[in-house]
Amino acid sequence: MLQFVARRMLEALVVVFLALTVVFALQFLAGDPVKLFLPTDTTQKEIEEFRERLGFNDPWLVQYVRFIRGALRGDFGNSLRQQEPALPLVLQRFPATLSLSGVAMLLALGVAIPVGVISAARRNSWFDHLGIGATVLGQAIPGFWLGLMLIYVFSVWMRVLPTGGRGTWLHFIMPSVTLAAFVAARFARLTRSMMLDVLGQDYIRTARAKGLAPPRVLYKHALKNASLPVVTLLALQLGQLLGGAVITETIFAWPGVGRFLVQALLNRDFPVVLVGVFLTAVLFSALNLAADVAYAWLNPRIRYE
Amino acid sequence: MSDATATMARAAIEPRRARRRLPLNRSGAFGLIVVALVAGAAALAPAITPYGPADSDLIKTLQAPSREHWMGTDQLGRDLFTRILYGARVSLAIGLVTVGVSGVIGLVVGLVSGYLGGPTDIVLMRLVDVQLSFPFILLALVVNAILGIGLQNIILTLIITGWVVYARLVRGEVLALKTLDYVEAARALGAQQMRIVLRHLLPNLWTPVIILSSLQVAQFIVAEAAISFLGFGVQPPMASWGNMLNEGKTYIYNAWWMTTFPGVALVLTALGVNLVGDWLRDTLDPRLGP
Amino acid sequence: MRVTALALLIALLLGLVGSAPTPTAARDRPIVVALGAEPRSLMAMRIVDWTTNVQQMNIYDRLYYWEGFPPRIKPSLAAELPQTPDDLTWIIKLRPGVKFHNGEPFGAEAVKFTLEWLLDPRNESHYRPRFAFIESIEVVDPLTLRIRTKEPAPILRYWLVDFTVMAPGYVRSVGSLEASRNPVGAGPYKFVRWDRDERLVLEANPAYWNKPPAIKRVEFRFIPDFSARLAALLAGEADIVKDVPPVAVDQVNRSGLAEVRGVASSRINYLALVNFKPGPLQDRRVRQALNYAVNVDEIVATLFRGRATRIPGALSSINENVNPNLKPYPFNPERAVQLIKEAGYDPTKLEFTLDSPSGRYPLDKEASEAIASYLARIGIRVRVVVNEWGTHLDKIINRRTGEMFYLGWGPALEAQGTIAELFRPERTYSGFGTPNLTLEINKAIPIVDLKKRQAAWNRIQVMLYTEAPWIFLWQQHDLYGVNKRVKWEPHPAEKIFLHDAEWTRR
Repeated sequence: MLQFVARRMLEALVVVFLALTVVFALQFLAGDPVKLFLPTDTTQKEIEEFRERLGFNDPWLVQYVRFIRGALRGDFGNSLRQQEPALPLVLQRFPATLSLSGVAMLLALGVAIPVGVISAARRNSWFDHLGIGATVLGQAIPGFWLGLMLIYVFSVWMRVLPTGGRGTWLHFIMPSVTLAAFVAARFARLTRSMMLDVLGQDYIRTARAKGLAPPRVLYKHALKNASLPVVTLLALQLGQLLGGAVITETIFAWPGVGRFLVQALLNRDFPVVLVGVFLTAVLFSALNLAADVAYAWLNPRIRYE
Repeated sequence: MSDATATMARAAIEPRRARRRLPLNRSGAFGLIVVALVAGAAALAPAITPYGPADSDLIKTLQAPSREHWMGTDQLGRDLFTRILYGARVSLAIGLVTVGVSGVIGLVVGLVSGYLGGPTDIVLMRLVDVQLSFPFILLALVVNAILGIGLQNIILTLIITGWVVYARLVRGEVLALKTLDYVEAARALGAQQMRIVLRHLLPNLWTPVIILSSLQVAQFIVAEAAISFLGFGVQPPMASWGNMLNEGKTYIYNAWWMTTFPGVALVLTALGVNLVGDWLRDTLDPRLGP
Repeated sequence: MRVTALALLIALLLGLVGSAPTPTAARDRPIVVALGAEPRSLMAMRIVDWTTNVQQMNIYDRLYYWEGFPPRIKPSLAAELPQTPDDLTWIIKLRPGVKFHNGEPFGAEAVKFTLEWLLDPRNESHYRPRFAFIESIEVVDPLTLRIRTKEPAPILRYWLVDFTVMAPGYVRSVGSLEASRNPVGAGPYKFVRWDRDERLVLEANPAYWNKPPAIKRVEFRFIPDFSARLAALLAGEADIVKDVPPVAVDQVNRSGLAEVRGVASSRINYLALVNFKPGPLQDRRVRQALNYAVNVDEIVATLFRGRATRIPGALSSINENVNPNLKPYPFNPERAVQLIKEAGYDPTKLEFTLDSPSGRYPLDKEASEAIASYLARIGIRVRVVVNEWGTHLDKIINRRTGEMFYLGWGPALEAQGTIAELFRPERTYSGFGTPNLTLEINKAIPIVDLKKRQAAWNRIQVMLYTEAPWIFLWQQHDLYGVNKRVKWEPHPAEKIFLHDAEWTRR
């Protein structure tokens, strides 16, 4: 087991390293950001001085080594736009994103698992059909459209919810619903099909034959067995959720990482983009690793594959 | 690749259960009708509407739906119904091209990775992980910031993100197939590698790949809209539903038709494709239940 | 079970309604200004950026500012307009009795410190090139500063407008980074809090040299998406929002809560015709023809619903130096075709690429497409390429645009800041220059005598009119959505100085 974890950790490190390299390479393709950050009346001489000072004139290999060294020390340079160290600028926005994603995930699970279980238990009932319809719709509605509609209905028209920003728990409602919609649809479908799967297996039939009450059968036996893939998906969807937060955060003026990175990209603020990608890669790899370890622990056979 | 990620890939197609035979159920039929309508609209657009998708008329900007303009006009006086018809072309092109290309890439990578195993497998799957560690939207923005906006760049982005899902799914399937007796027997008998792949593995992969594709099409169509929403859409005056939504959002409070109709078109199409996908999965999956 | 759930739901909904934002206690409420982005820095005189500057001026105040209509320069932290005993010397008298928020006295020392700070290359101030002509800065007495320039630089008068001043003792003790996060100024509002990507909170400075601000608390809120900003206005959460689209004016006015207050901005929009590359656009007749071919008045009337003011040349109607004798090119497609033919081209064979930003200026993309469709009517094919802002700027700076590109410029209230910045060959923001023009511009820059200076700019404006380096478009109107409870009027110089604002008595 230890060996398995160690190997996976090593692989995760490689992934993070590669991701960093890719982004580093990408910024060279994106053209010269330097002039974008200097005012229009800057002379060519001053532009050159600026480039020199930032080390943009060095060969790319030198820049790469410097970049990796800095990254190891947690120094990614200054944001070109805000002239402050880039790493803290991104880090301080993480709590907002994590809290929003967390609430959205809880919301998604809170809705999706009961819907999935009940749909499976009462297969082909009106509830099942309705549930399936809702999940298909949930997967089809673009998040930004849902977000704008929510704002229109609840903020502008009814004036019961704030349009955006962070503050009270009221501010959480619309962004987390928007963010949760897609994930919830996915989870509900997965839960339903896993439950159907498990319900068809022999031991459940046996339990039923023994006369155990249906709810007990459902919740104790079936759900427990159906939960493994759901847990796995959870860890991985959390990573997806962080990405999906980009649009939600932009619409609802949520002070998170996703929105910040989009703005950085729009402004060609590459040090910030690099930090952002680095941190998401770390986070994703950690979640992936956690999921794998949990999986291996729950299901020892796979370790020897 | 880890089994956790394999599960994820499997989850994408949610296999196994459901109806035993292949009857066309109500939702499947509905999905097929929607998809047929969208395809028809895309193909016959010039015959259906007298306007062109880029014909602007500054005198008639932001008109509400009327007999003349069924779905109203936009901020440049272009007929919205026309643009939605032509937008169907973009959506379908995006859906089909991206699924086609990313499907083939993913299929090859998954086959190689799963069949060969060992170091090849490890390297390929680490590539998959690198790819996955970029949130999709962020990647789209990076690509478009570098290459500029436009339909081909959106398609490129979607291909870059899309192949991964296939690679994982196919690899998982191959791993499972490899353990089957007849494949092992063929290998033991010293059959040629190529032959094993082509004769024994590939035929068993079509079904899951087709099912996944039907679900991916819907995702790609919605993804184009999301990219467009952030201002990295197709190049105007080309009409795409995502771009129309993006333009309409400025007018959301005084020209409801500009966001409503493209939004409905988008949701309906995604819904239709999803329903077809569900139906395909229910009917085609070889591991149908007991 | 179900009953409990129902009860819970009802309780939840009640709680929701109960704690919804209520309009009571209006007077204690902060005034909320919704902006698209947070400041890039709160350090004075470092960054040239509208969003940044508009927030800073409330904290720092400025030496001079634009007031009234047409705009005139007025002293704020300065006591009077600068004196120029000779062409190279500037005497600036400062307002007595002014203190920074931390109690430090304001005076000539502080202005000198700020100037030296921005001239130090290590501080990477955007303002450094503007003040590069300064020879020496001298504190004559605590309230008098003498600046000498290397060459005559009448433009200094304008560069001192919106010049913010930092507290020297504070910056020296905490350093630039801390001072840029936690600023101390002498303005009407004191810094309270800056929640990144959320809000900048300010409170009234009771010791402000002018009467204390009527509104006690200010909140700049950062909402990146435009429709969300508009929603915040319509929901009563934001009091001031800039750039309401012309078509949404009625919607805002009908809301009963807010109204649109517009002003013809000093910011101009133009379609640059690049003459650096060989091709038809190097021929003046073709450039003039393009001006004849586009019905600018119709675009203003329909697309902009009248919310733009057409300009005949490179300067807006409220620019101090505008030449009032220029008349816009009339819409005359026949003349356009004729001119193009005279130049030896066939309009139906001409093909151009037009680069447009998207959403940076009012209806920029739409205007570009409209222009293209007018040109199409005389047979010219124009491919409109829409860029997001970063790409657009990058293309312009590195000269990778098509033959035409759309851009805005401002605030521009005098000639040099527009003409010398845009029409010299090394400048890329216009894509136009001729040796003759450069010569004339370089001659005009150091002219101190106001009459002669005006005469020189008038001549250059006529030259530009004939050369037609742009399709001359319009000065944009700044349309602010303002909550009706706020007494505040927008100004052509694009400032939001909240000392000018009050709550209405209602």
